[in-house]
Amino acid sequence: MMDIQHYLAPTSLGQALDCLMDGDVTILAGGTDVMPQSQAGKLKFKRTLMNIRHIPELIGVAPQGGDICIGALTTVTELMDNALVQRHLPVLVDACDHFASDQIRNCATLGGNICNASPAGDTLIPLLVLDARVELASKAKGKLNWRSLPLAEFFTGPGMTCRAPNELLVGVRIPLPEPGRVAYFHKFGTRPALDISTISIGIAGTLRKAALFNVRVAFGAVAPTPVRAPRTEQALEGKRLEPGSIALVAEVARDEVTPIDDLRASAWYRKELIHNMTKRMLDHVAHA
Amino acid sequence: MTVAEKTRFIQPDTLIGKRIVKMDAPEKIEGKTRYIHDISLPGQLHGKILRSARVHARIKSIDCSAARSLPGVHAVITAADVPDQRPIGVARDHLPLKGDRVRSQRDEIAAVAADSEEIACQALKLIRVEYEDLPVLSDPRDALKPGAVLIHPEPHGADGSSEHLKQGAPVAYAGKPDNIAMRFDYSHGDVAQGEAESDVVIEDTFQLHYVTHCCMGVSGIIAEFDASGNLLMYSNTQVPFLHKREFADYLNMDPARIRIIQPPIGGGFGSKLDIYPFEVICVFLARAAKRPVKLLFTREEEFLASPTRQPVLLTLRSGCRKDGTLTFRQVNTLHDNGAYTSWGATTPFVMMQTFSSLYRVPHCDYHTVAVYTNNPYAGSFRGYGNLQATFAIEQHMDMLAEAIGMDPFDFRLKNAQDAGEVTGQGMSFKSCGFKDCLNTVATRSDYQNKRKLNQAAQSAPGAIKRGIGMASMLHVGGGAKIYPSDGCGTILKLDDFAHVTLITGASEIGQGSETVLSQLVCEELGLPMSALTVVNNDTAITPWDVGVHASRTTFIAGNSAIGAAKKAKVKILAAAAKKFACPEADLGLRGGWVIKAATGEALIDLPRLLRSLHFTDKAELVMTTFYYEPPSVHQDKAYKGDVSAAYAWATQAVEVEVDTETGIVRMVKVTGAHDVGRVLNRLGIEGQIEGGVVMGQGYALTENLMIVNGVMKNPNFRDYKLVTAPEIPEMDISFIESMDGEGPQGAKGVGEAPAICIAAATANAIYNATGVRMFDLPFTPERVYRALHGKSEKPSWKPL
Amino acid sequence: MSLMHDIAFTLNGVKRSATVRVDMSALDMLRDVVGLTGTKYGCGEGECGACTIQVDGLSINSCLMFAVDCHGRDVVTIEGLADDPASGRAAALRHAFVEHGAVQCGFCTPGMMMQASHLLDKHPHADEDSIKRGIEGNICRCTGYKKIVDAIVAVSHQEGKGATT
Repeated sequence: MMDIQHYLAPTSLGQALDCLMDGDVTILAGGTDVMPQSQAGKLKFKRTLMNIRHIPELIGVAPQGGDICIGALTTVTELMDNALVQRHLPVLVDACDHFASDQIRNCATLGGNICNASPAGDTLIPLLVLDARVELASKAKGKLNWRSLPLAEFFTGPGMTCRAPNELLVGVRIPLPEPGRVAYFHKFGTRPALDISTISIGIAGTLRKAALFNVRVAFGAVAPTPVRAPRTEQALEGKRLEPGSIALVAEVARDEVTPIDDLRASAWYRKELIHNMTKRMLDHVAHA
Repeated sequence: MTVAEKTRFIQPDTLIGKRIVKMDAPEKIEGKTRYIHDISLPGQLHGKILRSARVHARIKSIDCSAARSLPGVHAVITAADVPDQRPIGVARDHLPLKGDRVRSQRDEIAAVAADSEEIACQALKLIRVEYEDLPVLSDPRDALKPGAVLIHPEPHGADGSSEHLKQGAPVAYAGKPDNIAMRFDYSHGDVAQGEAESDVVIEDTFQLHYVTHCCMGVSGIIAEFDASGNLLMYSNTQVPFLHKREFADYLNMDPARIRIIQPPIGGGFGSKLDIYPFEVICVFLARAAKRPVKLLFTREEEFLASPTRQPVLLTLRSGCRKDGTLTFRQVNTLHDNGAYTSWGATTPFVMMQTFSSLYRVPHCDYHTVAVYTNNPYAGSFRGYGNLQATFAIEQHMDMLAEAIGMDPFDFRLKNAQDAGEVTGQGMSFKSCGFKDCLNTVATRSDYQNKRKLNQAAQSAPGAIKRGIGMASMLHVGGGAKIYPSDGCGTILKLDDFAHVTLITGASEIGQGSETVLSQLVCEELGLPMSALTVVNNDTAITPWDVGVHASRTTFIAGNSAIGAAKKAKVKILAAAAKKFACPEADLGLRGGWVIKAATGEALIDLPRLLRSLHFTDKAELVMTTFYYEPPSVHQDKAYKGDVSAAYAWATQAVEVEVDTETGIVRMVKVTGAHDVGRVLNRLGIEGQIEGGVVMGQGYALTENLMIVNGVMKNPNFRDYKLVTAPEIPEMDISFIESMDGEGPQGAKGVGEAPAICIAAATANAIYNATGVRMFDLPFTPERVYRALHGKSEKPSWKPL
Repeated sequence: MSLMHDIAFTLNGVKRSATVRVDMSALDMLRDVVGLTGTKYGCGEGECGACTIQVDGLSINSCLMFAVDCHGRDVVTIEGLADDPASGRAAALRHAFVEHGAVQCGFCTPGMMMQASHLLDKHPHADEDSIKRGIEGNICRCTGYKKIVDAIVAVSHQEGKGATT
């Protein structure tokens, strides 16, 4: 069972990174994943429990040099309510609206959602199509080190990321979308929220002359991690959106994904959904 | 009177049919209600149960030594520590603590009582059990095959010789050479003749799945022995008096020394109608530890160890003439009895009533075989087999109508019964609003037009298809005489301030029984609701009631309460008549006063009259009692007889939208008409209907307990989907007041009715929308999508 | 033996301290350490909302929150919502829940009340659809939700007209 021996609530990034250097730390932010997972026996607490909710460097949403920087502690509700996010990244607001429940949104953090790295993570799909980068900090020999990488490279497996044990996810950086940029998110479900995705789809592109350029497509719950879909992107890139081309893209999407059979759905059905919902989303874009 | 008083006149008024707020609602909204989870007794210990790590296995050894020596542990018990334990359940095949073998995932192997929940959980982890696996039987069809592993084989002694069951011996031996737990066989008329008279005969197999109650308050119990060895249990049972007697049996105690107090319950729905191992185990722990023990389930345990709804594999053969009259129904069902027998096995009692008597059926033949498997066992659950039976019958009604080219509503109306009819099973329909239910729903939902439009639109472009489907239900509405008595006792006490204490045997499980019983008494005595207090939760105080089941409480406890109130009224008016020197028939009770019946003139306020009765030399308190036994009969050995004092009907039309590209079925609207005899508490009855509709919606569309090889795959709310607020349909509810002659103020029972025909109506609606009929539940998106794309197999089963 | 930790926080308007196991949930702290049983255990995994409380003005599932995370914060439970006379909204909600028949077994009710209160704090004029979305994280098995929604709608309409109790 749990044998936590130390509890810390650092008030600065430096303090937190010092603690991480010693290793064997369970990080606590919103707690919406840590608590149920530990109760279910899926997560074993490490020797130290570190509450990062009081670290100022992890808080806030601000523009910075052509990007929007979102602190890791930003809750899902704060994301939805933030004017910058609403204006420039409405697809992220849309995904947040399908996230769990109001009570969980008030508490769950973007950083936690990213580090939990569920293949079905609701915020992860829009972040992927928005070209988000994660920013990680660590300390070595008393010096602060920073590292930044695309979100698509951050996930390594279900529940696994390439965050080193001595690293802390500080935030996410998203380039301000250029004019004409559109992005869409669809999460399959019988409920508006409170549902682990069976599949989810993100599509972004610059809409010009009824075609999408510089396309991004991402799928959730069809692979060990949330994934970009390069073949689908290629099939979509620059093609005029009309029934024939849309049908083709949907076929490519169905062939590209390799979901598994699990408790929630079969692989066959997930592929059918990817096909049908990709088609539906592109029909919607075409008529927009 | 020292001051001249003006003459007052009190206008007639009634509580019946009004919206009466639930009496305990103010306490509940402030979080002040103390459910069993909130009660702590001084010195109490926490109990926890070690459940099996295997589905089917012999237990080779159990080592509790490490657990026993953990600081804070007061008792650790296994079967070896309770050699006098007796098997529980209707078939007496279920030992609370398993010593020789485990037969299902939830099987109880050991139990711990400790100073805290944390220590009890730690202790469980220290118990070492060695198993020897046995083959798992998870498909009831396999249970009947020759050579199938026996779930309850004859016990053998250490030397291998067989040990026959001794009288009263604590050995869980079902006593059967095969896996058949129970059989039910019923018939009326002659189905061969019925078939010969039919112009259309159809036969289909239907498969009904596992769902579970999901009461928001998890199960729990507190057990305490006092210094004289009397047992006090805080229990959420729905049948406290039956439990008292059964516990006495299981514990070899005098029933007079057992007392059950019922704290407010966090939901029942039939889940608390049987005695379960955890309850007996908690008593054992209290006895061993010599301290009170409180045992609560986790939500996961609630899923694993609570009874489910009875899953059913059912083949129905139905026939009709081309003029639209039903001819016969022939039914065979296979009930998965699970590892031990509980009330699920007895759902055929209700199912055969539906098959024999929902619509006029001249010939009916019904057979159930319930077989042991290593799956979870089923109990009673709101509707009790009727949902399963109605699912099959009402789809066949649509299919028969289609086969003869008749409108499905007209077909139903043609075969619906009227008041005065007696069915082949001997059920006498004294009050019957069946046709009114059908007509009301058809009109209000515009069923016939919509059905035709939707059917025509099946081939139109567009992924979203609309459908409308109809179904009706029949259920007992005046109790069900399955126990030696179906009665209820009431004690009524009026104090010097005309405050009434209503002491009733009828339990309250959230459905508002305390409010409706108070309403009936206040109506009788002309008092406001604030004048009444209810006591209903202590077997040491309350008179006998068989329990909350079969939608019986309003009818039977209501008549019992009215009986006591009438007696009180007679006493009061006799005293008033004497005082005012007039005939009793000239007087009445209204607004807290004794009045002149003809004019409403107030003569004396009730408190003053009662004091004058009490504080005289002929001192008399107004206290009355009444026991009401409904005029129903026990069924004979052929299951025939008028088992309820009244019967109730409902018709529901369900409108859906089917997204053919995902399989998502959205329930858009439910139009329902319920024959309730009479509306008593309008607020309460609406709440029952709305809640029942949504429970039916869950059964049809979202809930699915997935059990694979005896292992429950989704014992949590994350993957067992209850309906949430944004998903509910629009509801149009009408009440048909057929004014039952025996019912309290004409009312009949309604608790189970609204859940019963939703799934059937939804199946018919999906067919109307898509042209595809589904014969198995639930209608979750992938299952619907597969059916729409020809990627699923229709259930099929030929009984042996 | 689990590590214990001291915390200080405001509970229902009153400052207090508590010593809790580090891995303890806020729900267990409220029920077992503080002794306020109005907040209910429904599932322990944030799927049913029976454990809803308000922390720093936001509704959250106390079963998912660590008790140590209450330190320095303003916590309100159903007992505090009921007692607060200044909050006209709480009284209006109480009245509406009772009048509209929104309570049957009552087990989900504290969580519903806390969530409804927060929902109306944020969106005083919420319409029926927003209200249904707003309580999507609160499960009720008895009522079918309709009367709960009706009660909350009634309060939101009252506020819309400017009338309070």
